[in-house]
Amino acid sequence: MSKAMLIDTTRCIGCRACQVACKSWHNLPGERTEFSDTWTNPKFLDSNNYTRIIFKEIDKPGGQLSWHFISRRCMHCNDPACASVCPVGALQKLENGPVVYDDARCIGCRYCMMACPFQVPKFEWGSAVPLVRKCDFCADRIAINLAPSCATACPSEALLFGDRNALLKEAHRRIGAHPAKYYPEVYGEKTVGGTSKLYLTAVSFDELGLTHQGFRTDLGNIPYGIYGREWMSKVPWIALTVGGLAVGLHYFNQRRAEVQSQKSQESQEGKED
Amino acid sequence: MAEKVEKWYPGEGKLTPARTILYVILMVGIISAAARLFLGLGATTNLNDAYPWGLWISFDVLSGVALAAGGFTMAAAIYIFNLKKFEPLLRPAKLSAFLGYLVFVVGLFFDLGQPWRIWHPMVMWNPHSVLFEVSWCVMLYTTVLGIDIFIFALERWKKYEWVAFLRNLYLVLVVAGVMLSTLHQSSLGALFLLMPEKMSDLWASRAIGPLFFCSAVIGGMSVVILESLISSWAYKRQAELKLLSSFSKGLGIALLVYFAMKVTDLYARGATVWVLDKAHFFFYLELFGTVALPAILLSFSEVRHSIKGLYWAAGLSAFGVVLNRFNVSLTSYGGYRQFSYFPSFIEIIVTLSLIAGGILIFDWGTRYLPIYKSELSGGTH
Repeated sequence: MSKAMLIDTTRCIGCRACQVACKSWHNLPGERTEFSDTWTNPKFLDSNNYTRIIFKEIDKPGGQLSWHFISRRCMHCNDPACASVCPVGALQKLENGPVVYDDARCIGCRYCMMACPFQVPKFEWGSAVPLVRKCDFCADRIAINLAPSCATACPSEALLFGDRNALLKEAHRRIGAHPAKYYPEVYGEKTVGGTSKLYLTAVSFDELGLTHQGFRTDLGNIPYGIYGREWMSKVPWIALTVGGLAVGLHYFNQRRAEVQSQKSQESQEGKED
Repeated sequence: MAEKVEKWYPGEGKLTPARTILYVILMVGIISAAARLFLGLGATTNLNDAYPWGLWISFDVLSGVALAAGGFTMAAAIYIFNLKKFEPLLRPAKLSAFLGYLVFVVGLFFDLGQPWRIWHPMVMWNPHSVLFEVSWCVMLYTTVLGIDIFIFALERWKKYEWVAFLRNLYLVLVVAGVMLSTLHQSSLGALFLLMPEKMSDLWASRAIGPLFFCSAVIGGMSVVILESLISSWAYKRQAELKLLSSFSKGLGIALLVYFAMKVTDLYARGATVWVLDKAHFFFYLELFGTVALPAILLSFSEVRHSIKGLYWAAGLSAFGVVLNRFNVSLTSYGGYRQFSYFPSFIEIIVTLSLIAGGILIFDWGTRYLPIYKSELSGGTH
């Protein structure tokens, strides 16, 4: 059964306990934080930060503000582009949900970072022997029937861990029960072929203005890996066609040249006669 | 014959100013590359999470391979299309192609996060990955080119029975080379099939594979012309103008075909072409300045028959291929990323030193190996 996480952003209170829990489970170093134009900290996902909460203020009519707290991390696609493009198969989608990364295989080509439609994989730029880092859905915890550390730490049940089908049902139940509270779409249900992270939001991601921060709404429902696999399925045929044509044309053109030179010889001999 | 080769060119073995500059660049580059190995990519390059691929991928990998397409293009012209008159251009083309792939491999070595794992794709397979296919094709094709160069060396060492044996296999080598090149030249474009959402409309095409293949042929042909002109200038020989004029007709046709492909593709996808911004500036420069313009130039017989004209036409088309690779892999993302990227000093100097190293080895190769027509000892494969 594929596991998933329902991220109900309307329940999130922005306490960042998930960020702390993630760091302690993965043994990631703490960092000095900085003030910026938003309350979001850290400002980007990187090799030491697998998850972060984006704080978003949206103007409401009448001079009011509304707060939105969006937890960002690897989406754990059902058919991940990163796993499809990795030349050495270092990234893999596990049957029970997580997309995991094998340190021992990676060559550091960074194609996964280019291909991920959510811009999730990050590189250890500070290291002389860098590897790729991202949220692993606490695959080690799931393997022993524990919930991921972030979900365990969340005090407001904004991160709900469970079976994907059951969580989808629950998400649609919530939308149906509180149509005024939710944007009527579960982000991740169908996006790029479906993901293991399912988002409920109060307004659309377009309105939240997060399309450049990993929550694009124009991605469509087709997994991006398909484009590469489609190309790869043609490769053997291209090879055979080009190889066959090359051999055929070689003999054809050689023979034609021979015939031509023979003809010109014959016509010359004819003239001599 | 071989004794003649040893004292063939004026200034041979001397440390001319040009060679001195190349050696200096190479030395600084080697030091920079060592710094990159010990300090890591983050400390020595301007690459970051927003720009995981930079100058080294755009130039050393994508442009380098496209410009090294001369080897298979010439082999196909001569052995498959039986255009035997171009034979004098084959050996230099093979040597420069081999060096192009060496630049690629060395450049990639420094670009990888885990360089010493460069062999992993050989044993760890992911047949879904375009990059997996590219790495296999490049590995095999570099081997094919290596055998070609090895045959030249065997001739130099007068191991004629070995040469005769290997020449029996030439059709296998030619067909393998053409097949592998067709695959990886187009697949380098197909790498970008997976990221249409991040790319500018101008380059995010489903036809990027065939487009890359066609422009690689252009890159290979223009480098063959440039390389022939430059080496006859550098070694003070007569340029093979008659042959090059005839060859440049082919380049003109390839440019026209490519232009038609580009326009058809843009029209079919309904891309917004007439806007003024940075991406469109580079796009206009690429399509009109480096595809249409050299095609028009080459349609004039006066241009095809003048050394200066050929320099300009071939130079523009080669530059256009490089510009296209930079556009696809960098410019295209300008509207998507929140940051901008410009390569660091170390990135630039490592790339420059790869070029310098390539030229130095080519220089050495032309002096040591039987590369040019006058030195051939019989067969030409």
